[in-house]
Amino acid sequence: MHRRTFLLSVAAGALVAGVSAFPRLGRAQNRPFTFTSFGGALSDAEKSAFTDPFAELKGIQIVNTSPTETAKIKAMVEAGAVEWDLVDVGGRTVRQGDEEGFLEKLDLSKIPNAANLEKGWVAPYGIATSTGATVMAWSTSSFPDGGPESWADFWDVKRFPGPRGLYKYFYYNYEAALLAAGVKREEIYPLTPEKAEMALGKIKEIKSSVTVWWGSGAQPPQLLSSGELALSSAWSGRVLAASQEGAPVGYTFKDGIAWANWFVIPKGSPYAELAHELIDFSLAPEQQAKLLDLKTYGPVLGSVTSDADAETRKILVMTPENLKEMLIISESDARKYMLEYEEQWNQLMLQ
Amino acid sequence: MRSAVTSRYNMQTVLLLAPALLVLAAVFVIPLGRLFSLAFTDPAGTWVPFQTLLTSPVYRQVVANTLVVALAVTAICAVLAWPVAYVLSRLKGVWFVIALYGVLFPFWISVLVRTFSWMLLLERNGPLNRMLAGSGMTDGPIALLFNNTGVMIGMVHVLLPYMILPLYSAMTRIDRRLLLASDGLGAGLLDTFRRIYLPLCLPGLAGGATFVFLLSLGFFITPALLGGANAITLSMLIASFVNDRLAWSLAAAGSLALLLIVLLIMGLTAKMLPLEKGMFAK
Repeated sequence: MHRRTFLLSVAAGALVAGVSAFPRLGRAQNRPFTFTSFGGALSDAEKSAFTDPFAELKGIQIVNTSPTETAKIKAMVEAGAVEWDLVDVGGRTVRQGDEEGFLEKLDLSKIPNAANLEKGWVAPYGIATSTGATVMAWSTSSFPDGGPESWADFWDVKRFPGPRGLYKYFYYNYEAALLAAGVKREEIYPLTPEKAEMALGKIKEIKSSVTVWWGSGAQPPQLLSSGELALSSAWSGRVLAASQEGAPVGYTFKDGIAWANWFVIPKGSPYAELAHELIDFSLAPEQQAKLLDLKTYGPVLGSVTSDADAETRKILVMTPENLKEMLIISESDARKYMLEYEEQWNQLMLQ
Repeated sequence: MRSAVTSRYNMQTVLLLAPALLVLAAVFVIPLGRLFSLAFTDPAGTWVPFQTLLTSPVYRQVVANTLVVALAVTAICAVLAWPVAYVLSRLKGVWFVIALYGVLFPFWISVLVRTFSWMLLLERNGPLNRMLAGSGMTDGPIALLFNNTGVMIGMVHVLLPYMILPLYSAMTRIDRRLLLASDGLGAGLLDTFRRIYLPLCLPGLAGGATFVFLLSLGFFITPALLGGANAITLSMLIASFVNDRLAWSLAAAGSLALLLIVLLIMGLTAKMLPLEKGMFAK
């Protein structure tokens, strides 16, 4: 054996040994409990209503990070190096985690407060802890006398001229398009091929006026403020936060598509016990009521909304008067149309 | 049997190369291998991700769009870089230094910052649109953002130096006496350019074009920020496979396809043009 080949094989051997030792480096047990969320208004709300009080109560340190990313959870779990213990995700991720097995199955006996929630907010792999909605927002300089009051108005390019923004996937748009087409709220689900086709057709109708297909929550308020867009769909909390800061952005909860922010535990988190405790803590009435003061994302617990003042009630998903005018998204139907109509959606986007 | 000297020389080479090779293997080759292995280990079947990519009209359109954008960016860069490189090759002393720094300066600012700056410049009510409307060239704001126009403007800005520098180095190597000789033998300006100057610049042009084209193919930040849902490039598609769909086998297959396209193009260019002369011009 030549010395060179010998050296190379030694080097290769050392390399393989070194690489296989890598995952163990990440599995540090003495890192603090880590909570990850979307950033922006939601992370601020969760920090002051849930994680800070919980850390104080338990006398522990909690690291709050963002942004949340489903692919990262999956990668961490597959590499055996879980660095997030509790993660706030969209409803889609709860289903994906169920299908792909990267989430911890929740033990509801450790989350007694979950019993007070409406049934739709509790799933085997995730529990909703706050609510928001995809609402219509507009630039008040484009429409000083008020904006659209329904998705049919949003689709009306004559009454409300100007460039529009919509979410970049079929998500929310299926619902918005069907509502614009005049389908009744109670008939949006279940998903059928006819309804999906109808929704795609309706989106095709407005497509030439849609200049931005937004992907991150920060985009709509920013693009509306700068005048890039005249109207857009947007996440309620982001719009509320922007308008509190004085941005020239109007909004309505009418015809909004309500959803929840879900807490999930990545499979293999060393703090799974504590994560269960934090979920239960977040669902307690006092903690849920704290969300009311922040005026961005609302509680998931309907009972606490009765304490809110009239002004705050207008921006809460869970008050009976608002729920009447909104549609609660069905995450299982959404998962289905996202998967089954992805090809058609992409094709529509590229046209 | 090899002499002791050669063997020692080889040893030295191995030791000198070892650190870089180890780092490259650990942080590049092995992860890349693992990524590509994902493409072939899809539970649905070994070739399923590739079939999905090949049979979907959407993905074909994305690949086509990526190639079109990359080609257009390369062509625009070549046209813009030519006069700059020429001026650079003619300048001397302090003016040359200033001009060279002018070309290199953008390198010191993060691509992210530059891309965000373009978002401000190109928006509907941004300075560029106001200027166009104010000068009467357009009636209303034109769409410069979230489409291929925005993507190309941003990419040309980022990639222009990669075209200027190889062109410049090819131009400085041209013996000016050849141009004088051509002139003296009665050739017109256009003839001298076409038959003398252009062929001598070609290696630099080929080198720069290869750089710009290959970088354009895999560009992510700029298209992701300045492009839109109707201006998707291959790198954006791969990112969406990873983040949104969690379809990692498709992402791996897409990356492998991109790499193969790049290798194919590099092979063809190397065959057709004396590439190394352009890239490592002295």
